[in-house]
Formats: sequence, structure tokens, C-alpha cells
Amino acid sequence: MNKPMTAAALAIALGTAMTIAATPVAAQTADKEKCYGVALKGKNDCKAGAGTSCAGTSKIDHQGNAWSMVPKGSCEQTASKTSPTGKGQLAEFKEKKA
Amino acid sequence: MKAQPGRLRSIADVASTKPRSLPARAGIGLKPEHFREILVTAPDIGFFEIHAENYMVDGGPFHHFLTRVRERYPLSIHGVGLSIGGEGPLDERHLDRLALLLDRYQPESFSEHLAWSSHGGAFLNDLLPVPYHAGTLALVCEHIDRVQDRLKRRMLLENPATYVEFAASTLAEPEFISEIVKRTGCGLLLDVNNVYVSCVNHHRNTHAYIRALPLDDVAQIHLAGFAQDEDADGAPLLIDSHGAPVAQAVWELYCYALDWVGPTPTLLERDNDIPAFPVLFAEAQQAERILCRLQPNRAHEACA
Amino acid sequence: MSSQSAFAEALLAEEVVCPPGLATWNGSAPGKRFAVYRNNVIVSLIDALADSFPVTQELVGEQFFRALARQFVRAAPPRSPVLALYGDGFAEFIEAFPAATGVPYLADVARMELLRVQAWHAADADALTPDEIARLLGDPAALPDARLILHPSVRLLRSPYAVVSLWAAHQSESAALALAAVDPAQAETALVLRNVLDVEISAIAEGPATFILNLQQGVAFGQAAGQALAADAGFDLAASLGLLIRGGVLAGVEFPGSTHS
Repeated sequence: MNKPMTAAALAIALGTAMTIAATPVAAQTADKEKCYGVALKGKNDCKAGAGTSCAGTSKIDHQGNAWSMVPKGSCEQTASKTSPTGKGQLAEFKEKKA
Repeated sequence: MKAQPGRLRSIADVASTKPRSLPARAGIGLKPEHFREILVTAPDIGFFEIHAENYMVDGGPFHHFLTRVRERYPLSIHGVGLSIGGEGPLDERHLDRLALLLDRYQPESFSEHLAWSSHGGAFLNDLLPVPYHAGTLALVCEHIDRVQDRLKRRMLLENPATYVEFAASTLAEPEFISEIVKRTGCGLLLDVNNVYVSCVNHHRNTHAYIRALPLDDVAQIHLAGFAQDEDADGAPLLIDSHGAPVAQAVWELYCYALDWVGPTPTLLERDNDIPAFPVLFAEAQQAERILCRLQPNRAHEACA
Repeated sequence: MSSQSAFAEALLAEEVVCPPGLATWNGSAPGKRFAVYRNNVIVSLIDALADSFPVTQELVGEQFFRALARQFVRAAPPRSPVLALYGDGFAEFIEAFPAATGVPYLADVARMELLRVQAWHAADADALTPDEIARLLGDPAALPDARLILHPSVRLLRSPYAVVSLWAAHQSESAALALAAVDPAQAETALVLRNVLDVEISAIAEGPATFILNLQQGVAFGQAAGQALAADAGFDLAASLGLLIRGGVLAGVEFPGSTHS
């Protein structure tokens, strides 16, 4: 077991944390709702696909042979990179809005 | 539920409870894409409908927004995963989830499908067809009895859109449905697009199909768009895509059905290629105008 | 075999087959009609995965992703009608997928995206208000034994890859440009939380990760902070608490012998 932090150290940290997080969360709710972009869809539907014969659309089950496929996406951008990210400990990212 | 004859509802009954049924107006399927716009613009819509399974999560944005929408509008909860037509027993855990959701949101209407979607523990996420004979009739009725018993309310059963039929079937679909309604006391959600799609796909007469249904028990109507394809012999094969405006032929069939059933809450369904909210609103207005023609005394802007 | 067993089996079969007993009004071969159902099942489930794993898809491209997802759907169809959380086991499936070995970080990105979906739908809990936090400072002696309760959405993922940076690069308009600055082989620990309505993902150091894990296991405040300091000499307790408070995930405090929060 490691040594617990003292009451004084905990209180100082908590006091400092409150000033770090100055914006009261409750006040953000209305604002969040206003600028909220819904990132996830409802996945349960009672729709059917758009047909069986128009194989050119992406909504058709292509039965592609994935085992022999090569990924062709943004992962190609990260090949042979060695530079450090430089991201800070608390770096935070918002999701792309729909 | 039909009122008990001879029993007058007290004023307290009326004042203290939410309406027990949806208004005979047009409603729209509630989509996350439109949550904000609906709350901000407060459109004049008769009701919203959700798919039950999308809200069977613990918390988060879906419940946040549904709670706010429900405070302002009548609500229909439409299940898409109970597998009432399944060969096996009903999923009791799923019934528990439904009971919890209905308890939380107190919807004016609850409906499910004449179809199956789960088998052997796997959920197949489609409304799969059921053969129509005495054996399946008994099983479906047993399942609906259990649903109504567990949820302590009448459910509406939706007629399916189908692409194949079964050699084992001995009953026509409307006959099968009529018998279910008679035996279980459930209501009927008449999906007019499904009637059209199935009748084209199986070469049946749409008017005769509708007249063969238990029309006194229709408590809600669905309208949607379909996609067109062909079967192996080049005959038309319509697909219930929910991805297009309501077809003219379906509007006409809707008017035909309303002549028989009278003003009925009508949902515009759109689940694929979801357009901007005003597009759906305009389609709902079209249904409102048709409904208004049947209710000449109704004061509503769509009736003007 | 029951008729539904044959039907279900044909829906998920690799080869296009038609179950027995189907009929058509014009005597046409039922295969094309049956294919509508088959298509609905497979495509709708792939769509569900594509919605939950958008960055996983962007990393390998839509065509590869859908082919991969198709194999997964057939191997592991959902066990529940609630599709919101479908995708358990997808990361493990990717790990074992030979064609994806060239993208070793793909499975962990998928793992993190599943945590994002779980956080999105996790139970609600009110954050402590500033007043409630301030009141805690009135009795510092009680702090070491207090249990800090985190929001149910909070999740951590320790990865040998730069999962957060990879994910973040895809949140910008020019993912290609942002990706050029990412070294995927850099280990990162992801903190996933829901701040009111938005899921936020950030990379955190070992100290805060240890602190949060201890709190989630019910370890007392003083002890959790001590563990974090032992794991990471640079641990900054104030910054970690600030992260939790600003994220709206410091959801309660319990004191031993009392059930009040």
C-alpha cells in the first residue's frame, strides 16, 4: 500500500481544481442543448434496404472478399511516422459535429 | 380502449390523466437528427412516434431529448424487436425492458409487428415473414396475450410488408389478422404502405384486402414510401424502404381506408435518407388535410 | 429443422441459398425475393456498426470496413434486439482479422469507439455543484476517507497506440493533414466521459489514469491520490480533479458510516 495523501494536500488540490473548472456545469446544460449535434443515430428501424439488384449502391450486401482486401483509408497517412505527438496531458477533443 | 358503456368518466378522471389515445391527427417519427429543431421550433404536430429499442439504454442524450419532446407532445411507442411471430417463447427480458420504457414515458399508444426477428438467441434486425395457418395463429395469439398481460395494456399489431409467401399458409393475411384481433382483443395498426407493397408483391387487390381486415379495431395508421424492384420473372417487387415520400397510389389507398375507418391517428414514417424536418412536416400536413376533410367541425389551420 | 431455423440460417449463410417452403404468386424463383430479407439483415447490421465505429471506418476506408463488418455480422450477430450497444467483440474480431494486420492500432481504435458509444448511452447522474464541492472543504479532516463517486459514463482504455490522437485527427476537417502529425506507435491512455450531452475523449497520463481507476474501484480519496503519486511522480491532483469537475463527472461523495452524498 502506498502512502495516502494528507487531508491538507487533498483540500488544497480540491480548492485549486474548483478554480480550474470555473464554469459551473449546471449552467452549461441549456447551452449544450442549443448547440448539440447528435453524433449517433437510432439503430433499430423497421425499414428495408433499397433493393437487391442495384449493386452499385453502398446499401447492398456486396459479399466482398475481405480476406484479400487491402485497407484504403486514412490509415495510409500514418505510415512510417516517428514524430512525437506533442499532445499535452489534458489535451481534449470535441467530437466532429454532425 | 373503448369506453365502458353506461359508465360516465368523472371530471377528475379527465383532468388528472393524460389523454388515453392519440389525437386523430398526423404524426412524425422522431429522429435524433431533428431533436433540437423540434424543441426550438415547436412544430404543430399531432404526435411523435419512437422505435422502442432505440431508447432501451440507461441514459444520455436520447432520453434527455425524448423526455423534453414527450412533455410537449402525445407519444406513440412502436416496438421493432419483440419477435411476436417467433417460434420460440417471447424474450421476457425484452418484455421487461418494454415495461420499463412504457412506465417511464406513458405513451398513448404501443404497437408491434406481425413478424419475427430473433431466432436461436440471435437478433436479425428485420421484420421476417410468418406462414399463416392454425399452428402459427395459436402461437402468435399466445405471444400477444403474454405481451398484453405483462404490459397491462392493449397493444396494436401492425400488418407486415412481405416479399415471399409460404407454401404452408392456409389462411389469407387479413383473415389471419382478423382472427388474432378477435382472439386477443388487440388493436390494429393499419400500415397502408405495407398493404400496398404486399398486395403488389403478391398480386392481390388492395381494396379487398383492406375490407377483409377488422376495421373497427384500427387505432393507428402508418404511411411511408417504398422502393421499386423486380422479381426473378420481372414482376414488380416493392420494398418497404421508408426512404421516399409517400407514393400517390398509397395516398389514394389511405383515403380509401379512411372512408372505412374514419379519422385515425396517422404516422408518416421515414427511416432512410432522412430529409430536413420541414420536408417531413409538409408531408404530415398533407395527411392532416385529408384527415380534416373527414372532420368538418375541427378547428385547425390545416383544415382551413 | 424448424422453418425459422432454415430461414435464419439462409439469412446469414456465406452462399446465397433459399430456405425451403417459399411460394410466389407467379411461380417465379423465390431467391430474388428472399434476397431482400438477406440484404436487410446484413446491410442494416453493417450500417449499425458503421454508425458506432466511424473512425475505425475512416482509417481503413468504407469498402474494407464494410467487408470486415460483414464477416463480423455473420460470425457474431447481435444477441439482443437493442442495437445501440451492438459491437461487443468487434475489436477482438479485428485483432484476429488477417487483412487488418497492416493497421495494428485499428482494434484499439474500435475498442475506444465502443467505449464512446457506451459512455453516450450510460446512466445519467448529476454532477456535484460548486456549492457542494465547496462544502467539502469545510471539513478537510474527512477528505482522506471520503469516496468520490464518478459518473457512470467514465471509461478508460490503456493502449500501446496513439488511439486518442488518431481519433482526434479524424474530428478535424482535414483528417489527412492532422494525421500526418500523429505517431501511431506512441502509447496513450484514453479517458472517455459524457459531459452532460457530449462524449469527450482525452489522453491522460499514468497518474490520472491510476487515480481514476482507484476511484472507480471504491478506493478512498486519500489512498487513490497516494496510489496515483506512486505510479507517476508528476501526478498533479488538482489538475486531475479539475478535469473531472470540468467534465461534469464528479457525481457524488460518500463518507464511511454514512450513506449521504
